[in-house]
Amino acid sequence: MRIATDVLQRFIAAPTDQQALRHLLDDTGLEVKRVEHDGVSDVFTLELLANRGDHRCYEGVARELDGRLGVGIRVPAGTALQVGTSPWPLRCETALCSTYSATLLTRGEAQRALDAASLRLLAAAGIHSLGPAIDATNVANLELGQPTHAFDADTLVGAVTVRLSLAGESALPLFAEERVELPEGTLVIADDEKILAIAGVIGCEESKTTDATTRLLLESATFDPVAVRKASRSLGIYTDSSARFERGSDPERAIAGAGRVVELLEAAGWRREGDTGVVGAGPSTTGRVVTLSTSAASAFLDVDLQPAEIAGRLQRYGFDVRVDPADADRLLCAVPSWRLHDVEFAADLYEELAKSIGYNETPQGLPPVQLGAPPSDRELRRDKVEEVLLGMGFYEVFTDGFYGRDSVELLGIEADHPLHHHVQTLNALDRAYSMLKNNTLAQAVQAVAVNERRRVFDLKMYEWTHTFHPIDEVLPAQADPARPPCRERAVLWAMVSGNDRQRSWSGTARAADPLFLKGLVEELAVTLGLDLLVAAADEGHPLASCLHPNRQASVVLDGEVVGILGEVHPDIRDRAKLKRTVPVFLEIDAAALLARGSRPAYIEPSSFQPVVRSLAFTLPHRMEAGEVRSWLHASGPDDLASVEVVDLYDHGDGQRTLTYELVFRHEGAQVSADAVNAAVDKLVASVEEQFGHHGVKLR
Amino acid sequence: MSRPDPEALLAAFRADLAQAADPAALDEVRRVHTGKKSAVKAALKQLRDVPPEERKAVAASINAARKQMDTELAEASETVLAKARAARLDAEWADLSMPGVAPRRGARHPLTQVERHATSVLRQLGFSVVEGPEVEHPYYNFDALNIPEHHPARDMQDTFWVDGGWLLRSHTTTVQARVLQQRPAPPIRVASLGRVYRNEAVDATHTAMFHQMEGIWVDRGLTFAHLKGTLEVIARALYGDQPIRFKPKFYPYTEPSVGVDLQCSVCKGSGCEACHGAGWVTILGSGMIHPKVFLEFGYDPDEVSGIAFGFGTTRMAAQRAGVVKSRSLYEQDLRVHRHVHRGGEG
Repeated sequence: MRIATDVLQRFIAAPTDQQALRHLLDDTGLEVKRVEHDGVSDVFTLELLANRGDHRCYEGVARELDGRLGVGIRVPAGTALQVGTSPWPLRCETALCSTYSATLLTRGEAQRALDAASLRLLAAAGIHSLGPAIDATNVANLELGQPTHAFDADTLVGAVTVRLSLAGESALPLFAEERVELPEGTLVIADDEKILAIAGVIGCEESKTTDATTRLLLESATFDPVAVRKASRSLGIYTDSSARFERGSDPERAIAGAGRVVELLEAAGWRREGDTGVVGAGPSTTGRVVTLSTSAASAFLDVDLQPAEIAGRLQRYGFDVRVDPADADRLLCAVPSWRLHDVEFAADLYEELAKSIGYNETPQGLPPVQLGAPPSDRELRRDKVEEVLLGMGFYEVFTDGFYGRDSVELLGIEADHPLHHHVQTLNALDRAYSMLKNNTLAQAVQAVAVNERRRVFDLKMYEWTHTFHPIDEVLPAQADPARPPCRERAVLWAMVSGNDRQRSWSGTARAADPLFLKGLVEELAVTLGLDLLVAAADEGHPLASCLHPNRQASVVLDGEVVGILGEVHPDIRDRAKLKRTVPVFLEIDAAALLARGSRPAYIEPSSFQPVVRSLAFTLPHRMEAGEVRSWLHASGPDDLASVEVVDLYDHGDGQRTLTYELVFRHEGAQVSADAVNAAVDKLVASVEEQFGHHGVKLR
Repeated sequence: MSRPDPEALLAAFRADLAQAADPAALDEVRRVHTGKKSAVKAALKQLRDVPPEERKAVAASINAARKQMDTELAEASETVLAKARAARLDAEWADLSMPGVAPRRGARHPLTQVERHATSVLRQLGFSVVEGPEVEHPYYNFDALNIPEHHPARDMQDTFWVDGGWLLRSHTTTVQARVLQQRPAPPIRVASLGRVYRNEAVDATHTAMFHQMEGIWVDRGLTFAHLKGTLEVIARALYGDQPIRFKPKFYPYTEPSVGVDLQCSVCKGSGCEACHGAGWVTILGSGMIHPKVFLEFGYDPDEVSGIAFGFGTTRMAAQRAGVVKSRSLYEQDLRVHRHVHRGGEG
C-alpha cells in the first residue's frame, strides 16, 4: 500500500521528518519497503500484515500510529445515510452476505470532478482518475477501507440479488475480453438477467458506469471472507476489494462507507434519490469482549501496568475497556468492529499493549536455562560418516527434492521399471518440479554432467537427502493423515568421477572405480562399528539396471541389502553426454548407517613375529579374486591370521595373476617356519584341487 | 739393503693423499701406506738391517711418520666426507615450489556449516534436534498451526501440492506441530531444520527448495521478555554484536509475533542498496506460541506459554560464504564449493 505523508497528515499529526516517520511505521508493524517523493510529498510503500485488513486504508494506518502516539485521529464523517425503503428492489438469498446496502444517485446538470484533495489522494496511490463515480468509490476505500461499487442503474433489469451462482453461469468481469464460467456456488450480485458482479471481487462490464451514466446504484456491503477468497482464487482475479474482504471487513462500516461516497458525489453534482436500502443475513460476529488480567499482562510484558494505563492504551486502538465490577484485576475489553477478525484472546491484547509501548522498549531477559542438551547418537554418527567423506575429499552438495521428466528419461526408465512411478506435484510452476524424486542417481549424474561442461573432471560429491516412493493404493479423496501418498526414505549418496585424488604432477592418482567406493564403505564400517559388507550385486535393486552390469555390487548389513555401488551404466553416460568422465555411484540407506554400531573388543598386539608368505595364482576370466581369497582363509590353519591381495598382473587376455599375502601368527607362541611351509603346501594343493578345473594354477 | 727412509715414506703418502678425492680413494691410500702390506710395514721390517745403535731412532722416525699419516688421513677423511655429504645433499635437492601432494580434504556444504553452528548455539540453551517428513499432511503444515483453509495466511507460503491431497512442507514448523501432538510435558525445547519448499518463481536469489531452522520452547511462565532475551542470545551468537531491533509481524502460529532485524552491515543503518534503504535486514521471525496452537494440542494456554522462532539458513549461509546468488548453493558446481571452501584453489 502506498501512503503519502501529506495525505496521512489529514488523518493524524504524524512525525513530519521522513526518518522519524519511517522508524515509527516500522516500529508499529507497518513495514516500509520503499520511500519515494512524488513531487508533492514523501510516499511510503508499506508491507501490511496479512491478518490486518483494517490497515489497508489511511484511517487504519492512522489508528495504528495513534496507538503509539496518542494524539487522536481525524476521519471524514461522510453523509449520514437514512436507511429505509430501498430505492431499488433488493434480495439477499445467502448467509454469506451480512449487509448489502444500495443507494441510488442521479447525476445533476453540472457534474464536476472530485475536489483536489480527493484527486491528490488517488494520485498518491497511483490510481488514475476515471470519472467522479469510480473516483469516489476509490477515495472512500483508500480513506476508510470500505470497498463499494457503482452500477449503472439503467443497465439493471429487475431486482438486485445477492446469491450463489448456479451451475453453468458465466460473467464478463471488468476489463475481461471473454466471459468466464463461474464455479457453482460463487457469491455473486445479479439482476434478473445477468451477473452484475462477483461479490467483493470485481464488477462486470454489462453494468459498469460510463461517462454517459446518469443514474447509479451504489453498493456497499459486508461479504463473507472465505466466499470472496474462493471466488478470487478460482477466477484468478485479485483486486484491492478482494484483498480487503478476504481479511474480514468491518461489519459496521458498510453504511458509513457508502455515506462517504455519497458525500463526495454530492459535492461533485450528484443527488441522492430516497433512502438507502439494506438487506442481508445480519452480522455474525459482533459484541466480542475479551477479558484481560492486569496482573497477567504486567507479568507477560514484565512491565508494571495499572488498569487505567491499559485502558488508555487499548482505547487508542478503538477498544472499549471497563473494569470488571466483580474483580478489579480483570478488564473487560470490547473489541471494535474493525478488529473482530483478528482479536480473540488476551494474547491479542498483549500485542496491542506491546506495540503501544514499543517492542524495543519493553524489558528482556533469559528464562532460567538448564544445562545444554548433548548431541544425539544419530547426530554423532552422522558426523562420523561426514568425517570419513571429508577426509577422502568429498564435497557436500544439495539437490532438489523433485525433478522433471528429463531426469527419468536420463535413466532410461520404462513403464515396467520399479522406478517408473512417482509422486506427482500437482501445481508446480516449473516442469522441472513435476515429480518427487524416487532415486538420487539421476541428479547425481546430472551434477557430474554440469561439472564436466565446466571442465571440472575430478569430483567427489555426497548428499544426505530423501527419496519418495509412492504407495501403490488408491488414495482417499480427502487427505488422510494416516495414509501418506509415499514412503519417505533418507539416504546418503556419493558420486566420484575422474581421479580418486586431486590431479597431481606426481602421477599418484588413479581413476576412480567401484573399488574406491568399496574402500569408502569399508572405512565407514570401521568408523561406525557396523558389519557393512560389499557383496555380490543384487539384481532386484531398483538401481541395478542403471549401473554397469559387471561393475556393481550391493552393500549389505546384517544380511539385508541396504545400498548399491557401481559404475554408471554406459547408456546413461551417453544420454548425459559425459565424454570424459566415468562416474561411480554409491547409495546407502541413512537409517542403516545411523543405526547403533559396536566397537570390536580390544586385543593386545602379539609380542611374537608373524611369518609371511606370498602365493601367486593365475585366475581365468571372470573368476573373482575374493573367491580364492575366501577359500584360502577358510582352508588355512588357525594360525593363518589374514589373507590379502597385494599385487595384480593382468595378462591382457582375461587371465590375471594375483599375489596373495598370507600372514601366520599365533598369539601365544612363535610360529615356526617349517609349520608355515607345510601349511602353505597344503593350501596350494587345496586351491588347485578346488579351482584347478576352472583353470586356476599356481604361478 | 737400503735403510728405511721415513721422510720418503711421508712424501709418497702425501703425494697420494693429495690425489684422493672420495672415501674410496682415501681407503686405498690408507691401505697402500698404512695397511699390512704398506711401505710403512715394509720399512719396519727393514729395521733389522739397521745398526742396533741407530735402530731405535729410525724406528721412532718410522712410527712418527706413521702417526703423521694417520693424523693427515683423519683430517683428509673429514674433509672428503664433508665434501661427499655436501655433494649428496646437493643431489637430493627437492623443488618445494612444486604443488603439495597430500590428499585434499573436502568440505561440508556452507548450509550445513551454518546449521551446525546454529544447532550448537541452541544446544547450549537445552534444545534437541528433531526431524520430520518433507511430504506432509496439510494439517501439520496449516490447520494445526492456526492457518485454516481459505485463510489469507496461506498466501504467505505458496505450496506445492502432491498426490493424495498432501503437500511438500512449506516450513519446518510442521515438525513442531508433530512434537506438540505427542503432548510431552514441559519444558519442551526442540529445534527442527531442513528442506522446505515454496512454489514460487525461481531466480538468482530464490529457489523452490531452501532450508530453514526453527525452535520452540514451551514451559510455564515464559514471557515476552523471555522471548526477546532468547532472540538476542541467538542473534548475537549467530551474527555477533551488530545492533538488532524488534518489530511487530504476523505469523499465524504466534501471538504476539516478532520480527528481528539486524542492522545492515554494509551501511551501518544509514540505508543502502543492500538493505533497500531500510538500514536493517530481517533475520528472524518469532513470537509467543498462539493460544489456538496450544488448544489444538490439548495444552492449556493459561498454564503454559511458549517461544517460537525460525530463520532461513540459506540466506545466512549465502551471507557467510559471500555468495551473492544464493541459488548457486543449490547447484552442484564444484567450482563454487571449492571456491567457498578453499578460496579458489582447486
